[in-house]
Amino acid sequence: MRNLFNFIIRNSHWLVAILLVAFSFYLVFAHNSYQRSVYLTSANRVTGWFYTVSGNLSSFLLLKKNNRELLERNAQLEQELYAWKAERDSLDRADTPSLEAFVADSLFLPQFGFIPAEVVNLSFSGVNNFITINKGSKQRVKPDMGVISHRGVVGVVSHVSANFAVVIPVINPKFRLSARLKHSENNGSLSWDGRNIREAQVQELPRHESFREGDTVMTSFSRIFPKNLIIGTVSGRGESADDNFVSFNLQLATDFYTLQDVLVIEDRFFEEQKALETMMQR
Amino acid sequence: MKISYLHELLLFLLLILLQVLLLSRISLFGLATPVLYGYFLLKLPMGRNLFFVIFSAFLLGLIIDIFLNTPGMNAAATTLVAMFRKPLMELFFEKEEFAGFVPGMNNAAAPFVRFALFTIFLHLTLLYFIESFTLFNLGNTLLRIITSGVSSILLIIAIDSIIYRRKSGEQS
Repeated sequence: MRNLFNFIIRNSHWLVAILLVAFSFYLVFAHNSYQRSVYLTSANRVTGWFYTVSGNLSSFLLLKKNNRELLERNAQLEQELYAWKAERDSLDRADTPSLEAFVADSLFLPQFGFIPAEVVNLSFSGVNNFITINKGSKQRVKPDMGVISHRGVVGVVSHVSANFAVVIPVINPKFRLSARLKHSENNGSLSWDGRNIREAQVQELPRHESFREGDTVMTSFSRIFPKNLIIGTVSGRGESADDNFVSFNLQLATDFYTLQDVLVIEDRFFEEQKALETMMQR
Repeated sequence: MKISYLHELLLFLLLILLQVLLLSRISLFGLATPVLYGYFLLKLPMGRNLFFVIFSAFLLGLIIDIFLNTPGMNAAATTLVAMFRKPLMELFFEKEEFAGFVPGMNNAAAPFVRFALFTIFLHLTLLYFIESFTLFNLGNTLLRIITSGVSSILLIIAIDSIIYRRKSGEQS
């Protein structure tokens, strides 16, 4: 008995180390469960503040490039606006009824609202890529909302705290989204194989589907994103596990290296649609 | 002794900052990410209390985990490395060295490099295998371990040479 005690005392640091390792592994596996506490992620207050400061610094350094992109986007919108104005003017003649008759219904609520947010942290060095943004439940951000940039799809909100939210981006192996080519109605499944930050894969397209390099890839049916958002462009044929399906690589429209400003999509009918659909499943 | 603790605390904080803000965002060729915070375990004195070593390693890993959203992975790897630190040190350094001996490029360059090589590769192997449990194929993981390990060790040798050479120059 005394020998046993001596043994335990002599080797107690090993026991402590084994306990700590066991605790760490517990964290590793608990991490995968959905009900994980938000406090051990980068959405908690201290780390959030920290990343805000460093995000501010790096956004300052990227101002010039972003500014140019915004100007380009602005110009494009201006052009569209001009086209619409021209069309309105062509309608607004003496022999047509006045446009006053078409005043928009003020009760009408568009389905999608947009919450602008800033990226405060990006991680894409390893397998567990994620993005932290500076809007949280106080600004009506909820889990499962889609996130886009002015170029294309970014990802889906996974965890939310009061002022921050963690986004699972397209470049995370856990991310799945249905996608289609612009000129076709067939759905494929978008995923990321972990190799290249600028490229993702679309799989499970029917074999007769034809595509060329440079074709646009868009979102299709999704609870999270509106239809016809740009995801990227086809960059080459990919490997397919099954002869009945084809797959291809696509160049992502969003540049994750310089991502700064994003929009969180608020689907105002999300709860309604979900409630209806779960009713069907019963 | 107190100055030594202060020095270690400073190193602890600086390494976390460096890892979280800079190094973890690097991905050379899409593979190599320098993992430098294991350097803290290299620079603890030889005779340091084992509880201290294990707890500080665990804390270091846990803080890195919280910042990188990988609960447990880094903590598990660093704690395991801390367990093997003493046997490794006895392997590479002479046992007659006094308890306060801090290995470095300035006092034992060759054994220090060998010691760093073993410790960092052990750390990275554990880390990447815990991380990729089921997700990725073996070849890719091994390639990541090797490239990350080489870049980390080059960084450690460079940083250690710069910091500690200047210090010994001031003292003499």
